[in-house]
Amino acid sequence: MTVLNWPLAIVWVSVAILAFFVFRREGRPGLKAAGQNALGIGKTLMIRLPLALLAASFLVQIVPVETMSKLIGPQSGFGGIVLASLLGGILPGGPMTSFPIAIVFQQSGAGLPQMVALICGWSIFAMHRILSWEAPIMGWRFVALRLATSVTLPVLAAYAAAAIVAIFDA
Amino acid sequence: MKLATTDIVFATLAAVSGTICYVRFGGPTVIDSVESAAILLVEILPQLAAGLLIGGLVTRLVSREKVAAWLGSGSGIKGLLLATLAGTLTPGGPFTSFPMVYALWVAGADAGALIAFISAWSLLGFNRLIVWEIPLLGAHFTLIRYVACLPLPILAGYLARGLVRWPVFRIADPDAVAPAPETTR
Repeated sequence: MTVLNWPLAIVWVSVAILAFFVFRREGRPGLKAAGQNALGIGKTLMIRLPLALLAASFLVQIVPVETMSKLIGPQSGFGGIVLASLLGGILPGGPMTSFPIAIVFQQSGAGLPQMVALICGWSIFAMHRILSWEAPIMGWRFVALRLATSVTLPVLAAYAAAAIVAIFDA
Repeated sequence: MKLATTDIVFATLAAVSGTICYVRFGGPTVIDSVESAAILLVEILPQLAAGLLIGGLVTRLVSREKVAAWLGSGSGIKGLLLATLAGTLTPGGPFTSFPMVYALWVAGADAGALIAFISAWSLLGFNRLIVWEIPLLGAHFTLIRYVACLPLPILAGYLARGLVRWPVFRIADPDAVAPAPETTR
């Protein structure tokens, strides 16, 4: 399958290194607390994750993702980049649901800069996250300030990505 | 086991989209979808487990108070760089990061540092990168996307420091906002 093994090796090595530092500072109780923390989040994901993957898998069948992918193809230029940023912003939920949908966009012909704009749009504008976390905790004025500073970022990132590709292809 | 609202939302979403899928395309498509979701789940699990463990271990090593001390309002570019680094290293979902941003705010971090932190966490976060983006979208794409986004949190932080001088964007003291919700979970 598409699983790359070196990132997996890197993460597990980092787990070992971090565990070593925690052990040196706090001994066994520190490791136990860290494990319990991980297990706590893992438990909430245990139900949510399979459901989210299942929902995304069904949604991909229903939503005309392939038609939308054509609108954000490699030839779609600035308009496609802006559209992709907006699409990213309305992708539902966390990475559990958004990334499986993003794969379909990627595989059905979205352009690379447009995909970068999509992922950045999702990271920056995520509606779901603003409504359930940012606004309640930080207030709407803060949300407004952050959106004002970030509104052009996905487009900048898309052009930077296009430039990177151009440099490496040359 | 307790069912949170989010679980019910996802369950409903799966049920509704599954039903539409069955009505429009029939049983085999539904089975295909279930199968591809199961394969994806198995592929993600080892990364997810590692990501969760990293999150748990980092919370033992870095205290909130310590991070807050480094991001005072007069911190200049150093503060923005530090905020970017901290955001990049902060693991977990919004349920860990936003309470942390709020803690930084109360401790005296300015709007620029806070926005650099959130932007870095959402654009550059290692955790999400390792658990989701590399396995699902591929290392090649992820690398290009990551490099393209590297300067953005600093840029957003600078813009915030400029914009905050306008009355419209002047954010209130943290005390004027509702207190942060419980961070258990």
